[in-house]
Amino acid sequence: MERRDFLKAAALTGATAALDNCGNPEHQLIRFIPEEDLVPGVAEYKPSICTMCPAGCGLMVRVMEGDAEVIRHGEPGLIKMGLAKKLEGNPNHPISQGKLCGRGQAGLQVTYHPDRLRHPLKRSGPRGSGQYQEVSWDEAIKELVSRLSALRSANQPGSLAFLTQTVRGQRRELMEKFLKSFGAPPAVTTELFDDAVLRRANEVSFGRPQLPTFDLARANYVIAFGADFLGTWNSPVAQSVAYGEMRQGRAGVRGKFVMVEARVSQTGASADEWIPGRPGTEGILALGLAHVMIEQKLRRAGDAGHAGSLIEGWSKGLPDYAPPAVEASTGVPAAKIIRLAREMAAHPPSLAMVGGAPLAHSNGMFTALAVNGLNALLGNVGNPGGIFFQPQPPSGKAASGPPTSPKGSFSRVGELIQQAQNGNAPKGLLLYGANPVFTSPSSLGVREALEKIPYIASLGSFIDETSILADLILPDHSPLESWLDDAPESGAIGPVASLSAPAMRPLHNTRAMPDVLLEVAHQLGGEVAAALPWKSYDELLRVTFESYNKPQGKNQAAKPGDFWKTVQERGGVWSSSETASGALAGASHAPAAMLGPEFDGAEKDFPFHFLPYASQMLLDGSLAHLPWMQETPDPISTAMWSTWVEINPKAADGLGIVQGDLVEIASRHGKVQASALISPGIAPDFIAMPVGQGHEYFTRYASGRGANPVAILAPVAVPETGSLAWAATRVKISKVGKGKLVLFAGGIREHPQEGELR
Amino acid sequence: MSEKTIAQVNEDLLRPVLRTTRRFWIAVLLLGSVVAAGIGAFGYQVWNGIGVWGINRPVFWAFDITNFVFWIGISHAGTLISAILRIADAGWRRPVTRCAEVITLFALMIGGIFPIIHLGRPWLFFWMIPYPSERQIWPQFRSPLAWDFFAIGTYLTGSFIFLAYPMIPDFALVRDKVTGWRKKLYTVLALGWRGTPRQWHRLEKAMHIMAIVIIPVAVSVHTIVSWDFAMAPVPMWHSTIFGPYFVAGAIFSGIAGLIIAMAFLRKVLSLEDYLLPVHFDNLGKLLLTMCLVWVYFIFSERLTVWYGNESAEMAVFWTTQRGPFAPLFWTMVFCNFIIPFPLLAIKRFRTTITGVVIASWTVVIGMWLERYLIIVPSLSHKYLPYTYGSYRPTWVEVTILVASNAAMGLLYILFSKFVPIVSIWELKVGSHKPPVVHHRLSVVRDSSPTGASAIDDGLLTTDQ
Amino acid sequence: MARKWGMVVDLDRCTGCEACVVACRAENNVPTVGEDQAGRGRAMHWIRVERYWEGEFPEARLKFRPVLCQQCDAAPCEPTCPTYASHHTSEGLNAQIYNRCIGTRYCANACPYSVRFFNFYNPVWDKPFHLQLNPDVSVREVGVMEKCTFCVQRIQAAEIQAEAEQRDLKDGEFNPACVQTCPPKAMVFGDLNDPGSEVARLTRSNRATQLLGELGTRPSVTYFEAESWEEGEKDQG
Repeated sequence: MERRDFLKAAALTGATAALDNCGNPEHQLIRFIPEEDLVPGVAEYKPSICTMCPAGCGLMVRVMEGDAEVIRHGEPGLIKMGLAKKLEGNPNHPISQGKLCGRGQAGLQVTYHPDRLRHPLKRSGPRGSGQYQEVSWDEAIKELVSRLSALRSANQPGSLAFLTQTVRGQRRELMEKFLKSFGAPPAVTTELFDDAVLRRANEVSFGRPQLPTFDLARANYVIAFGADFLGTWNSPVAQSVAYGEMRQGRAGVRGKFVMVEARVSQTGASADEWIPGRPGTEGILALGLAHVMIEQKLRRAGDAGHAGSLIEGWSKGLPDYAPPAVEASTGVPAAKIIRLAREMAAHPPSLAMVGGAPLAHSNGMFTALAVNGLNALLGNVGNPGGIFFQPQPPSGKAASGPPTSPKGSFSRVGELIQQAQNGNAPKGLLLYGANPVFTSPSSLGVREALEKIPYIASLGSFIDETSILADLILPDHSPLESWLDDAPESGAIGPVASLSAPAMRPLHNTRAMPDVLLEVAHQLGGEVAAALPWKSYDELLRVTFESYNKPQGKNQAAKPGDFWKTVQERGGVWSSSETASGALAGASHAPAAMLGPEFDGAEKDFPFHFLPYASQMLLDGSLAHLPWMQETPDPISTAMWSTWVEINPKAADGLGIVQGDLVEIASRHGKVQASALISPGIAPDFIAMPVGQGHEYFTRYASGRGANPVAILAPVAVPETGSLAWAATRVKISKVGKGKLVLFAGGIREHPQEGELR
Repeated sequence: MSEKTIAQVNEDLLRPVLRTTRRFWIAVLLLGSVVAAGIGAFGYQVWNGIGVWGINRPVFWAFDITNFVFWIGISHAGTLISAILRIADAGWRRPVTRCAEVITLFALMIGGIFPIIHLGRPWLFFWMIPYPSERQIWPQFRSPLAWDFFAIGTYLTGSFIFLAYPMIPDFALVRDKVTGWRKKLYTVLALGWRGTPRQWHRLEKAMHIMAIVIIPVAVSVHTIVSWDFAMAPVPMWHSTIFGPYFVAGAIFSGIAGLIIAMAFLRKVLSLEDYLLPVHFDNLGKLLLTMCLVWVYFIFSERLTVWYGNESAEMAVFWTTQRGPFAPLFWTMVFCNFIIPFPLLAIKRFRTTITGVVIASWTVVIGMWLERYLIIVPSLSHKYLPYTYGSYRPTWVEVTILVASNAAMGLLYILFSKFVPIVSIWELKVGSHKPPVVHHRLSVVRDSSPTGASAIDDGLLTTDQ
Repeated sequence: MARKWGMVVDLDRCTGCEACVVACRAENNVPTVGEDQAGRGRAMHWIRVERYWEGEFPEARLKFRPVLCQQCDAAPCEPTCPTYASHHTSEGLNAQIYNRCIGTRYCANACPYSVRFFNFYNPVWDKPFHLQLNPDVSVREVGVMEKCTFCVQRIQAAEIQAEAEQRDLKDGEFNPACVQTCPPKAMVFGDLNDPGSEVARLTRSNRATQLLGELGTRPSVTYFEAESWEEGEKDQG
């Protein structure tokens, strides 16, 4: 064939192919004019903030050009746009320090999730049926405004409730300002694993109602009571970075790490010494250590100051906590207590941390105060290698006055339920990513109570067990499409205010939650509009962040425009000053006497302690909709896409349970079923289950998968704080059939013996 | 038994070729539909992806390569045995050689298909072939899979020649007996055979050369197949014993396959007068020998592994001896030794065809299991226990396995339809009795060029 | 001298958090396969964190070991591939040419580390998940073997950039996705042929061990085993 002929033929076939495409509806999309300039194949990096957990890590988003189907002006079409391709830790950010955990890495999937809500939706079927019809934004906002106006004109603005996921910074300010000016009570954060107990204890002991920052990098000895600080608790990335330094970052020094818990967690796996104790006795063990140090004159009781005075008998050297007595209540041998105490005293700086299950008992406050006392005795508060309280950036007017520890979400949701049960349900409810139906014990009846609320509007991005009850859904942008700001509570030593502009333009017909609130406020008029005068959320952010522009030392304040630009480029403002902690002054509180835990369910009927724990990948279930998280093996069990029940081999033998059996876990409040996983790392009187699966409605990837252990928990609050005492339930277990485990790993031993070869 | 005349021999041995029974059609239909199911299963696999098989990580090979090794093993019956017997000039071989050589050809064809259909992208199988690509990309000649290609290719070609040469006089015989399209077909197939002394001489010479050449080829083929395993650092694969072990196993299963085929032909084609108990007795003795050789090899293999006590190998060892693969392992030992050994060692059983055939069936099953047990336990227990896995076949793999057996049967039946399954001229040349042709032709063997021309019945008289 | 890429993994720093696993999936377009396929042993993780139990309760201990392709110098996967899809690059990587792979899976059998992953089906990204795909990394089709590349796309990009700027690559200038994200900094990546690089310095340490080094694979990944505290005490004293 001649070259020309070939070209002709090619042109012909090409034309035919083009004609064919015309008949294919997929290719009938309009092509929009690009909204930004991008060089194909060249990546740009834009700062952002991770919203996958409350740690508040700074991100760098890798953005590259791509072809996306988007909605613009209500019209679907194709556009060349910058697409987020990869998330990395922001190397300048004091929390993430260039690093990022697996959950953070999966943040991309939120933006591109196929089941993310793409338009405003109005309920068209019965409540809870999931039947919605698409409406326009104007229509949706008008409807919400009319509902809210109706509340206001009925003189019932106080009966508007707001349930939210963890939100901080200006976003929170905006929500609170909105609610306050409307006349509604503050928003309620619903969290399963809230840290209200520790915040309250820190407020009492140190005057700071917040989670501490641990200076692990300079610590020589660390004892953790149940705190999964390398996995899911507090600020895992910052803590992991520091942990690496503690282990191998200093020539000739390798810090020791002791873990006290009943089931080997991902964090516990890295410990030099792993100590199982009786549940709820961690505070007694901590005071046992303090007793030995005081008695052996390794530390003086007075060193502990106010934090020590909060424990009964502290000034007398804690006479009730002699090692034999502590052994009797905790099960940890007296000799080991003495050795640990001596080691801790001999290797300063040493620090203790407490979190997770030990605080989720009826005596959680006692335990937290006890560990605080131990830290104070070790003299590490505010000192290198110890614990710090990160100064918070100045916030707006809504939260003016000294910060106080919020009550636990369990009791605040409980109040809402109570009202509803008394026929006093709120008349309207706004939801923002909160899923109390999933994260509350089923005996609490959250869903039934919410059903009594006449009008529910959701501002979240997905339909879950709670938002399926919504009458109106105003879907939020994904975090990468939004203006974000954050004020991390812990993780760094100096104050941090993170800020980021959208890393990419929106894919769908969504609107950022703050902008929706501003628009609603504007349309409501009156006080609400006056309290929220900004046209858009970034305007509010700019006002706030410009206020951080102050001369620092010898440096002049930057020009306002420059400052705003620099903040956006860096991803926020922060200071590395260590002294910013300021003086710590605790609050007055009655001295805590020795207090053991109480459990729900009699030992006779329910022989096992039940330990639900935050799943490494799915956390409290809020990340169960991401396939990357579902398919990443759990670090301990290596299970994917499923729920399992961890049981000690001896206990399993006694019950005739083998690996892979379907077992039923029953408490006084319900039962769940999942497959048994025989694990050498759990105490024989414990049953552990990861939280995260068992969603009824939560996208195609999580719905109807696994079981939710929270459902069977006793609805018991930790006194004084109102957190759910999620570790205080007793259960029984029985085999019901053959189950299925989806495990990534084959063997569990590195050098399997003959009998272990499956 | 009365001695047969040449006419009777012709009649008996050409009957299947010349007359088509209903039984033939039923068998072809039945086997053909199973083969079609296998092809369908393969199509399903290509369409959906090889995920429709049960293979996984780390058990990337299972039924596919088991079948491959199994069929290559079966192929060792024919040509190798036939060649050895030819060189040893064992007279009793004559009625056996062709049906043995056919097994080789077909087993190789079927076995050779497995490395192709087991590919993730089977449509690109030709990349294993060293063809002059314009991009100048050649296969990786260091890969045992490339060696396989050459080994199997050579063996297939050699076996075909070895099988085809002695068929020429028989094709000529058929040519002279048929009319119509068959006449045309066999005229072509007979390649102008006229039975001249020169032709006889060349045939004999060629067969002699082929018999000698094919033996090292056959040995090398299964050695190379064993190297697919032995060259990879996989626990219990990486072993020097694998070459001879595989060759012995191949001959073992090959003889068993041959015995089964012969018993089948004897029954179906009424060849009771040609395939005699003595053949089964002799082949039974060979099978007994290989049975003992096989036991010796597996004992050596297991003993050295156990004594060496290397942890990764011990994991595989225990999983087969006592772990989840133990039932299969001990079934294999039963099938390959415990059952066949007494049946073959005790003369009373060996001299009954039934006894030898039962032993052969167990050996065939046992040897399939042996290959499975070489592949799957090792792959599921490699060095890092975290990666231990397990395997369960799917219907697709089972269908393909069954279809491969059906294909063997189908090809065999079709072959015996087109070619006299017992080499007629060789039988006539043979010196044993019956058939009783030998007293007339006893001189022939010693002076074959001229003697052979004395063979009667049209070989010389037919005018082309 | 040509570069030779290598890695050091300090198991004393590794916390088993699996950030590397997710980062690798995001960077390299590694597909998820779903529950059913994962249950059949077909989940793909170019890097995995192996965990091994030791002892029984209450002395039960756990250890983690991230395992990725060891980029062996004497890689068993390379000579086994009949089509040259698996081959050795001049910079010491075990490269896999997806286009040339016909799926014999022999390489995966030969690999003692079981770090090769096979596409049993065509990968699926429910729209619009496909928008996340890294354009620098090709997507693999059914029947193709895939594995860790040490993020060769990042290596190439950095080398091209350095060449364009007419300078040498700086040690630590870029990292594979797993190394970049690792919170406790358990992984160090670099050029083993540059004696001044961090990775070369660490590889000379007396803590250096190799995974299955006894098989003669000459891996480019070095492991530092976890230390125990008592030993650390002695070092101090």
